[in-house]
Amino acid sequence: MTVDSQGAVSAAPQDAPGSEAGTPKTPPPPSGSKHVLQPPRGRRSLPHGTLPYLLIGPAVLSMAVLLLYPLVRNVILSFQQVNRKELITRKPEWIGVENYTELLGDSAFWTVVVRSVVFTAANVVLIMVIGTLIGLLLNRLGTKMRLLLSLSLMLAWAMPIVASVTVFRWLFDEQFGVVNWLMRSLGLEGYEQHNWFETGFSTLVIVMILLVWGSIPFVALNMYAALTTVGTELYEAAKMDGASGWRTFWSVVFPNLKPFFLITTFLEIIWIFKAFAQVYAMNLGGPDRESETLPVFAYIEGQGQAHYGLAAAISVLTIVMLIAAMSFYFRLILKQEEEQ
Amino acid sequence: MKRKLIAAIGVAGMMVGIAACGSDDGKGGSTDAGGNKTLTVWVMDGSAPDAWIKNVNKEFEAKHKGVKVKVEIQQWNGIQEKVTTALSEDTPPDVLELGNTQTAGYAATGGLADLTEDKAKLGADGWNKGMLASNELDGKLYSAPWYAANRVVVYDKAAFKKAGVTPPKTRAEWIAGLKKLKASDPKSQPIYLPGQSWYVYAGFVWDEGGDLAVKDGDKWKGNLSSPEAVAAMNFYKELQSYSTAPKDKDEATPQQSTDIVPKGGVASWIGLGWEAGGAIDAMKKVKKTADFGYFPIPGKTADKPGSVFFGGSNLAVSERSPNKDLAKEWLALAAGKEHMAKYAEATQGALLPNNDAAQFKPAAGSFAEAMAQAASVGKITPVTPGWANVETAPNPIKDYMTKVLKGEDAKKAGEAADKVITERVNQQ
Repeated sequence: MTVDSQGAVSAAPQDAPGSEAGTPKTPPPPSGSKHVLQPPRGRRSLPHGTLPYLLIGPAVLSMAVLLLYPLVRNVILSFQQVNRKELITRKPEWIGVENYTELLGDSAFWTVVVRSVVFTAANVVLIMVIGTLIGLLLNRLGTKMRLLLSLSLMLAWAMPIVASVTVFRWLFDEQFGVVNWLMRSLGLEGYEQHNWFETGFSTLVIVMILLVWGSIPFVALNMYAALTTVGTELYEAAKMDGASGWRTFWSVVFPNLKPFFLITTFLEIIWIFKAFAQVYAMNLGGPDRESETLPVFAYIEGQGQAHYGLAAAISVLTIVMLIAAMSFYFRLILKQEEEQ
Repeated sequence: MKRKLIAAIGVAGMMVGIAACGSDDGKGGSTDAGGNKTLTVWVMDGSAPDAWIKNVNKEFEAKHKGVKVKVEIQQWNGIQEKVTTALSEDTPPDVLELGNTQTAGYAATGGLADLTEDKAKLGADGWNKGMLASNELDGKLYSAPWYAANRVVVYDKAAFKKAGVTPPKTRAEWIAGLKKLKASDPKSQPIYLPGQSWYVYAGFVWDEGGDLAVKDGDKWKGNLSSPEAVAAMNFYKELQSYSTAPKDKDEATPQQSTDIVPKGGVASWIGLGWEAGGAIDAMKKVKKTADFGYFPIPGKTADKPGSVFFGGSNLAVSERSPNKDLAKEWLALAAGKEHMAKYAEATQGALLPNNDAAQFKPAAGSFAEAMAQAASVGKITPVTPGWANVETAPNPIKDYMTKVLKGEDAKKAGEAADKVITERVNQQ
């Protein structure tokens, strides 16, 4: 019996710590459940398995098909001789770097390179300056005028390229052009049949007017959007300090919008450098090949002259030049990140 | 398709999204599920009178049940690029019209079907010998001649009458007449002659006894710096001084027949039959009546008219056409004697048919009558596969002409152009 009672007694204290332990154990569940909840969260931020690949798949695939594959074919093509005959018989001939040596030793190629670089620089400077000014104007205007100006900018921007080139061609037409008529109406001499496309230079100036006109909306609207992120208190502070408008721009607006200016400038460099339709459609690279920029040069050598391999080499060299320009941009970005 | 992609890459490369080229819908030789075949035929703008080709196709479709003929009209501008790309594809047009100066170039690429075996079926015996030359390469036949034409001077009868000018027989009379026209109406152009009308210039070169390119051993070389070509260019310059037409354009931009002549103020111009027809139609649209007379381009002496470029077209079958036999049948029918006679009639003789027996007797005072007078002195550009390369844009002959018209020395500019021509003409 004692044994039994002992047993019963011993059983009780045995039970007691248990129940006692149970009480302290009860609070942990929340903390315990916290521990339990955390792993799934970790899993959510770093999922594994095939799902992420599946999700990223379409984007990677479309980029590979639309960008990588043509690029690889283009590079291959640049090492081959593919003229009209090879294209039609489908028998390209490997000629190593001959296309490249031919190009690099051709003074015509270097003329085009210099022309493209100068043309791009002139365009980008004009676009950035005028675009920024219009952006600042947008920021200052009242609602109605701002709407009107934004709308005009959008319309200029939405104009299809070839349509706008056609309009410009007609404006500057030698026989029936509005610009010649305008010059005559203003009483200026020598515009009876002035040929605006007489030289490569004047042709490129007209192309530049078109490109600047077409590109300003992008810069101006972005500039306006970026300006809205600059707090009014900064302007107020500048005003209190008696800063002039010029000083306010360089000390307040410009440092704040530096990333915006960087990315916009580099985007414009890329766009202008590779602008094809505007330059080609304006005067087909003429007169006497004097208004050819690199993409137009590639097109005329490739499609026009049916030297597809050579044209591929030109485009590869164009890519190399753009990458060189872009590396400058990436270095700036990296440097900025390090500073931060 | 893959070939086309490669070609596109050559120009597009990284410049993705800039060259939104119109894709050609000229896919020929398709067979649908019901076994119906479509035969695609490419003809150039102005070549095939609508009623005539419809008639040919009706007869063809009646003979070949389940076959439909699709005619697609192409523009001359940029046609070489288009044909090159089309011939490299798996589904090229089955039958295509090629300019006679370009045919040898395509024959050399292997893109055209060899028609030597089909000579009898095509009726080669009756073909005009002068037209045949451009269809052959190394003794093989690659196309059938279709039509030929040459340019004449089209003049406004009223303007000539007012100035008291009659159609000239010699160059001297021609220039004297232009002077009179200028004096009688200083506001209008005695002649509309754009600076890059290089087929007209070629005629002047032939008049002097020269040529655009000459054979030098087994190679060719450009010949624009030769004394003959320089003399021809100087005459062209003199003639062009009577025109206010742009010096850096050819006759097609703006289209002289439909964009310039109907506006008025042009006493004469040099054109083809379809251009004259186009001008008459365009003038009707603006409620004007064309009163045109025609005369062959005057020669240096009265005994012979000026040499002219014997332009024309050939019909070829593409090598990759899946319906080659059908295509040849169509070719035999369209370019056969019977339909060519109808063709000559439909064009009122303004386009000479490939068969002399199909000739149409032109009406007195018509374009065709003036054209026929000059046909005897018609010539074509050098027959060599490389010539097609010379004509591709930017055409060095056109740039050369503009330079000289703007005051550069003809010999010096000719030397620069010869360099380009020599390089291109020797390429395959």
